[in-house]
Amino acid sequence: MSIIDLTSMGEPQKDIKNEINTRLKKLQGEISEFCYQCAKCTSGCEAHKLLELEPHKIVALLKRGLIDELVNSDVIWTCMSCFKCRERCPQKVAPVEILFALKNIAVASGKPIPGKYSAMLQSILSIGLIQDAQTVSNHNNQTIKRNDLDLPDLSKPVDGNKFQLVLSKLAIEKI
Amino acid sequence: MKKYVFYPGCVMPTEQYAYELSIREIMPILDIELIDVKGFSCCGEPMKSVNQLMTIYLSARNISIAEKKGYDIFVPCPMCHLSLSECQNVLENNSDINKRINEMLSSENLSYNKPINIVNTVDLIHDIIGLEKIKNLVKNPLNNLKVATHYGCHLIRPSEIGRPVDSENPQKMENILKAIGAEPLDYPEKLDCCGSMINTNLPESALTKTGQKLVAVQDQNFDVFVDICPWCHRMFDSKQKKAGEIVATKLEVPVVYLTQLLGLSFGIDRNKLGFNLNLSPVEKIKLGGK
Ligand code: SF4
Ligand code: SF4
Repeated sequence: MSIIDLTSMGEPQKDIKNEINTRLKKLQGEISEFCYQCAKCTSGCEAHKLLELEPHKIVALLKRGLIDELVNSDVIWTCMSCFKCRERCPQKVAPVEILFALKNIAVASGKPIPGKYSAMLQSILSIGLIQDAQTVSNHNNQTIKRNDLDLPDLSKPVDGNKFQLVLSKLAIEKI
Repeated sequence: MKKYVFYPGCVMPTEQYAYELSIREIMPILDIELIDVKGFSCCGEPMKSVNQLMTIYLSARNISIAEKKGYDIFVPCPMCHLSLSECQNVLENNSDINKRINEMLSSENLSYNKPINIVNTVDLIHDIIGLEKIKNLVKNPLNNLKVATHYGCHLIRPSEIGRPVDSENPQKMENILKAIGAEPLDYPEKLDCCGSMINTNLPESALTKTGQKLVAVQDQNFDVFVDICPWCHRMFDSKQKKAGEIVATKLEVPVVYLTQLLGLSFGIDRNKLGFNLNLSPVEKIKLGGK
């Protein structure tokens, strides 16, 4: 579903809008109210041409309080985190941070997490890293392990239990 | 000898071995001692879409470990570098989050007390080691080598957080490359993203981004494409073949880490610099003119 279809749906949800703004304010000190729809963010957006992400429209919808529609849309997961929109916005609105917050809300409200995010999270919980040392192929198509190279051991959390405890609390915590 | 705690992150030490190998080869030559420390974890940035508080906690945890050692931290991955820098920013400016994070850190006997210097490969070489030193170490100048640079989004933006390189006209890699005799040239696609961040959920689109940038570089006849980020390198080098298939172009662009190219100019053996781990056609890189 594209963002355009979403504008026609649903009532503004003031509470969530306030919550997201408080949250964004807390984390970055930036809010959507300053946006004047110049679309400079969209003009440089890395995901715009390929995946039709239009950050200025995301901000417009947020301003109108259509949070639920945004949270339920796949389009928020197309952002490539290039930070061009944040860098170039004349009003310091940072659509990319709004998108991060929307994705966080989607996850916290129990929406399925797309792609390999769950696997990465699982791996962080169990070994502290998004993946364990991989076997790679080299230029001559031989397989190489980290141990084959003259490299020290991987740095990982020493006390796995303590690390897991804090992190799993965080993982299930709502916003 | 200047000392830094070496923070490897996840991607470099678990698969992008060429970056780590080349860093460990050249840093001693540049009078930098890297201190390996046990207990680090992911920087948290890959989880920012899922749970930002977790991102901040993980970054804070890593900063605290480095702080305990009493040295500044060297962070070769731009994504980790941004994450740690942003975390420090938040903890310095938001006492609520600072308190909450410190409570969580206490269970591992850690605490965040004060900001430390977070250094990336580019500013370490360009600003701290300095170009004079680099010039003096060159044994094999990379004369006439036409180089396209790729900084990676996280290294240059957002400048508000404090990035080691200019956001719109990054030139530090170019300056380093000139110091070793190469010929870096700007090109219209220089600031284009590698697409890596959506490789997690939209791999085809991610590889399209990668492929489109490499096609542009190939069409402009560059001899080599130089990057500095393990996430970007994974796309441009490790997945170059796949990216080529997706954009229906035969791609043959040699892609190397900046640290590999520096090592080459210092006369270090290619295998020690991990050149045998690059999957792109690095054998095409010829030294001392063509
Ligand atoms: S660049 Fe900033 S002010 Fe302009 S449309 Fe985008 S968010 Fe709004
Ligand atoms: S960070 Fe996301 S929304 Fe912003 S310009 Fe880049 S891809 Fe577009």
